[in-house]
Amino acid sequence: MAKTRLHPTCVTDLEAPTFDEDWQRRAFGLAVALAEFGHYRWDDFQQALIAAIGSWQDAPCNTRGRWEYYEHWVTALNNVVRQHGLLEDGYINPEDASA
Amino acid sequence: MTAQFSYPSDREESSAAQVRALEALLIEKGVITSGTVDKVLSYFESEMTPLNGRKIVARAWVDPDFARRLVADTPAAVAELDLPEGMAGAEGEHLAAVMNEPGIHNLVICSLCSCFPWPVLGLPPYWYKNPVFRARAAREPRAVLHELGVSLGPDTEIRVWDSSGHSRWFVVPERPAGTEGMSEEELAQLVTTEAMIGVALATSPAES
Repeated sequence: MAKTRLHPTCVTDLEAPTFDEDWQRRAFGLAVALAEFGHYRWDDFQQALIAAIGSWQDAPCNTRGRWEYYEHWVTALNNVVRQHGLLEDGYINPEDASA
Repeated sequence: MTAQFSYPSDREESSAAQVRALEALLIEKGVITSGTVDKVLSYFESEMTPLNGRKIVARAWVDPDFARRLVADTPAAVAELDLPEGMAGAEGEHLAAVMNEPGIHNLVICSLCSCFPWPVLGLPPYWYKNPVFRARAAREPRAVLHELGVSLGPDTEIRVWDSSGHSRWFVVPERPAGTEGMSEEELAQLVTTEAMIGVALATSPAES
């Protein structure tokens, strides 16, 4: 591990797109939008993301699959949406509650 | 080929389908509207960019009092400038600037989740989210900086700031030599995202 060098493109890829695929961009926008409109606190999402990345890091290398940051993002998003009951009947939209 | 190298080929499609399904459900339930995500993304992509960080750094270079205020209370100092407002999720309230100076070099990482000071730097480069970068920058920052082309003398102290806590750090690099006559706008051009993460120095006018 200590011998793994950083790829030379690390400091020369300023023009590289931030997202490889459109689903990553949508997932990013969804997570930010739901926090922005008060459905959960950003900290809640962040904790879910830390947990998702943590379970990947703790899993044995031969079972956990290639690193893909936004897969963990999607896992965290699904978890935080479930924990806060956004899709359940009777969920009260905080925008309506404060109106 | 061992099992270690066989991944489900539909991983991308599965993630894409999950995201599509979730957004559709949230719209159907009335939690968001069909335009919500696009609106948020377009605000992010047009307003939350490294341009903001460049302006902050250039101001700190020309105004030492501002530089002091920036380090003492970053959100208050940033609010003095005419920059776009952050968003609730954008972590602007937790911004914290650290200043490079002779003998001190700062490096920002996020070892747990790759959080990033979006309002001033935009979205992070892909390598910032890479587990190898995160682990090695924490463990052997001098070696990592050397590989990235920043060779620091043994006398220079490297301070590594981990954004995983409540602060979203960004670096104010040192003002390059030979920039005495430059305007704030010209100076801002010398500041890169990499320099504000601490994996590069500000561009010297000779190179730019």
